[in-house]
Amino acid sequence: MPGKIVLCRCEDMTLADLEHSVARGYTDIEEVKRYTGFGTGPCQGKECLAVVGLQLARLTGQPPSAIPPFTSRPPLAPTPLRLLARAPDAHRFPDDPPDDE
Amino acid sequence: MQAGIDDEDDEARADASGQMRLPATLAGEGPLPASAEIVIVGGGVMGLAMAYHLAKRGLTDVVVIERGYLAEGASGRNGGGVRQQWSTEINIRLMQESVELCRRFAVDLGVNVWFRQGGYLFLARSEREVARLAKNIDLQNRCGVATRMLDPREALGIVPELDITGVVGAAYNPSDGILFPWPFLWGYARQAAALGVKLFMQTPVGSIDAEPAGGYTLRTPRGAIRARRVINACGAWSPKLAQMIGVEVPTYPIRHEICSSEPLKPFLRPMVSELASGLYCSQSMRGEIVGGVTIPGHASTYSMGSTLEFLATYARRLTRLMPILGDVKILRQWAGPYDQSPDGNPILGAPAGHPDFFLACGFVGHGFMMAPIIGKLYAEWLTGDAPHDIFGRSQLARFFDGSGAGLAKEDFNIG
Amino acid sequence: MARRLASHDALRGPAVEIRVADTSVRAFSDESVAAAAVASGTRILGRSLKYHRPRTYFCLEGHCSGCLVRLGGVPNVRACLAPCEPGLEVAGQNAFPSAEIDLLGAVDFVFARGMDHHTLMTSSSILNKLTNKIVRQLSGLGKLPAHRPDHGPPEVESREVDVCVIGAGPAGLAAATACARAGRSTLLVDDQLRPGGSLRADPRTGRAVADARLDAVDAAGAEVLARSTAIGFFPEDGGGVLAVAAPARLYRVHAKAWIWATGGYPVNLPIADNDRPGVIAARAVGRLLVEHGILAGDKIALVEVPEVAADIDALAAALTAAGAEVTRVPLARALGVRGRGWASGLDTRDGRVDCDLVAVAALPAPASEGARQQACEVQLDAAGGGYRIVVDPDGRTTTPNVWACGDVTGYMGPARAAQDGDRIAANLCGEVR
Ligand SMILES: Cc1cc2nc3c(=O)[nH]c(=O)nc-3n(C[C@H](O)[C@H](O)[C@H](O)COP(=O)(O)OP(=O)(O)OC[C@H]3O[C@@H](n4cnc5c(N)ncnc54)[C@H](O)[C@@H]3O)c2cc1C
Ligand code: FES
Repeated sequence: MPGKIVLCRCEDMTLADLEHSVARGYTDIEEVKRYTGFGTGPCQGKECLAVVGLQLARLTGQPPSAIPPFTSRPPLAPTPLRLLARAPDAHRFPDDPPDDE
Repeated sequence: MQAGIDDEDDEARADASGQMRLPATLAGEGPLPASAEIVIVGGGVMGLAMAYHLAKRGLTDVVVIERGYLAEGASGRNGGGVRQQWSTEINIRLMQESVELCRRFAVDLGVNVWFRQGGYLFLARSEREVARLAKNIDLQNRCGVATRMLDPREALGIVPELDITGVVGAAYNPSDGILFPWPFLWGYARQAAALGVKLFMQTPVGSIDAEPAGGYTLRTPRGAIRARRVINACGAWSPKLAQMIGVEVPTYPIRHEICSSEPLKPFLRPMVSELASGLYCSQSMRGEIVGGVTIPGHASTYSMGSTLEFLATYARRLTRLMPILGDVKILRQWAGPYDQSPDGNPILGAPAGHPDFFLACGFVGHGFMMAPIIGKLYAEWLTGDAPHDIFGRSQLARFFDGSGAGLAKEDFNIG
Repeated sequence: MARRLASHDALRGPAVEIRVADTSVRAFSDESVAAAAVASGTRILGRSLKYHRPRTYFCLEGHCSGCLVRLGGVPNVRACLAPCEPGLEVAGQNAFPSAEIDLLGAVDFVFARGMDHHTLMTSSSILNKLTNKIVRQLSGLGKLPAHRPDHGPPEVESREVDVCVIGAGPAGLAAATACARAGRSTLLVDDQLRPGGSLRADPRTGRAVADARLDAVDAAGAEVLARSTAIGFFPEDGGGVLAVAAPARLYRVHAKAWIWATGGYPVNLPIADNDRPGVIAARAVGRLLVEHGILAGDKIALVEVPEVAADIDALAAALTAAGAEVTRVPLARALGVRGRGWASGLDTRDGRVDCDLVAVAALPAPASEGARQQACEVQLDAAGGGYRIVVDPDGRTTTPNVWACGDVTGYMGPARAAQDGDRIAANLCGEVR
């Protein structure tokens, strides 16, 4: 049996999974993302978005330029909570402890 | 492992459901049919739940029209929380029924929704908040929901990662839970389609004309469709659709941001929420910590951009509540619209002068958990059953004629 | 088998000892944990989420997630972006009992044809409940951190500059140097352990050239933030703010003009079992050789697309000179990877190629997601490698005051990228005062 062709390493999404998703009618790149999970892992699509986009164009018979990317969401790389917690942007609630605590 | 049997089962189902392919129109092809008995505008969980339940009751001449892709609205952007801890009897009772539907969903509709009843733990940081929880618990217990008050030590027993400094009490109901939202939409959409409902994605409704002879004509880039009845299931966009026929709906969109962490091995059982900040977080079936926080004072907007303010506020409150998460990383943040209702209660039924135009909005931040039961009750009413209590008390008119004055206001829209 | 080349020894930093899966590993302080793992023959670092397939380094530049490890008690840390510090404790993840021998790897065999977990076990409520329980236990990658962060609260710093350049590869280094020389206050942000981008993976340039160009940026007066990742462009502060995350610091950056020079990510090629350990980006193989003096394999099968032939000529020659046996296979002839634990061969239309490493050379995929947050238009383009930023002939994106150069605008290779950076910087400086 031929092995799996992996398109998204983080979520174990294969070319067969993409074909399955398209066959089920989920053909918008945002729908494919939600159905197969591709692009939702630690790399957030860095390794897979372009590859999936090109394969999706092929499977749906569209030119690549007709396939938009899925929405780019911050943070662009996994960011620890402790780093964000000190940003001056945080809203202060009445019960918030002072900063130097 | 028993996985060998799983595989057999999966293959069998794949074959059976292969016949339930979503129609090609979902991919954005083909014109609209000339007419339908009911046109549902909005392919979020509310519209799709109604479509499914209508079709199941035999009313299959239904067309669902969605502006974007499946799950583009709030239904594809929420936290998946399901709870019975409410402050009004009607919401408690409705949610008891909805929980039952959620429990059966995977088997009834053939798609996993990963509904996990790990409970909901609400934390109070003042005696006033404790009193508020106590009042709700009393009502919930009378309705048969087993919520109980915990002292901080007991809360720690349920979530050992908590820093309980400053926590004075907590409300805990073990049968609340979380689900994975998207499969709900797939399940409703597929099964509705299998029963004959037609679904059109990427199809914005641009205008609606009330026909003198009754019914409505809805215009879209895919052509016009004549509907005997219209259901406005546009969530936060409902006021815009209602305006097309001159009806003023007083709900307004509030951007609500949310984020997800890297996947971690399971450790967090309940959804944890804090009254003081509206902070909430739970661990999804994939292991991610999914949560948000309510930042007060923001103006109404349809913008779904992400802010640093949210990320910083969430990080600050969450690492205070669970310091061990300090080195846990955020993978992704996004936003969706809360459909804010002036009195916290939904707006259902037909407005005055438009007996064939139905509203289903104003569900603030809990429309997802309500959709299974509201969709069912709506379908029962529209196919001839007597309307459930909720429809009488949720009329639009209450904002204009004072009839809402005596109604209990839902004030537990936390998170 | 991978090995350190003696010819590089004089260039290495001080030797250190780290612990990988409770075994002591000799490393050098200028290596990433992943590079040290490669050199020591540590092959598998974790298991994947769904099928529990073995996972290890692929890109060696922080963009693929293959090398996630538990590091000093913190889960899901990228080994390729972590410097080797003495005594560091590194452990594998998501495997039982160990990453090398994972009993849950059975999932991969049982679902050899793949599985749709959405419809799995929905036929009865008892089976469904059981599935939910099992899936929850299998979910997640790393375990909760072992302790609260013990370091002091990280600082937040602000930067106000004329030009912020994101990405310090050939294009970004050139652009930052030119902007600073033209008298613009310039900030250069780069996420790698050492800035230089693909220069540090290319035998035609290498360490010395990368260091020299970095010195030039310094000499011109620009500030360089290394190990600093642009994590998002947010709407705050009126004109927007770029948040940049460094290991112990968050920067809030305001700039009059922005230049995206983020290049492209090394990506995989669609052949069977392309995710097997031992399948590594060609650029990563180059990086190990050029930056670290590590030869990643003795018999290397190089699968390539025609567009990158010129770059690959240089790499293949350098690998051969270092003592490897290199077989080049066009993608059109490649079928699949052999070997379960580690690649041991490549099936091609012309028969099997025995190897101990498969290097894949695809077009790099433009790293355009940051620019997308500034509403720059991108377009999917096969020849460009993916979603390239759309620019006019002068390098302007569709968003005012946002410019782009190098591979992020579509693949052009290192030499042209450097020229592009120079040119676009000049255009920008002529316009933004
Ligand atoms: C961040 C966030 C977290 C939340 N957390 C929870 C939670 O934990 N639990 C919970 O129960 N609820 C939660 N909610 C609330 C819940 O998501 C919503 O109440 C629910 O999804 C509303 O469903 P809907 O179908 O009414 O609206 P939507 O899902 O918004 O669907 C409306 C649809 O109508 C479409 N539409 C609009 N205008 C037109 C037009 N002119 N023509 C055609 N189509 C149109 C839209 O594109 C949209 O898809 C949360 C919401 C947000 C934003
Ligand atoms: S992220 Fe480290 S090898 Fe790719």
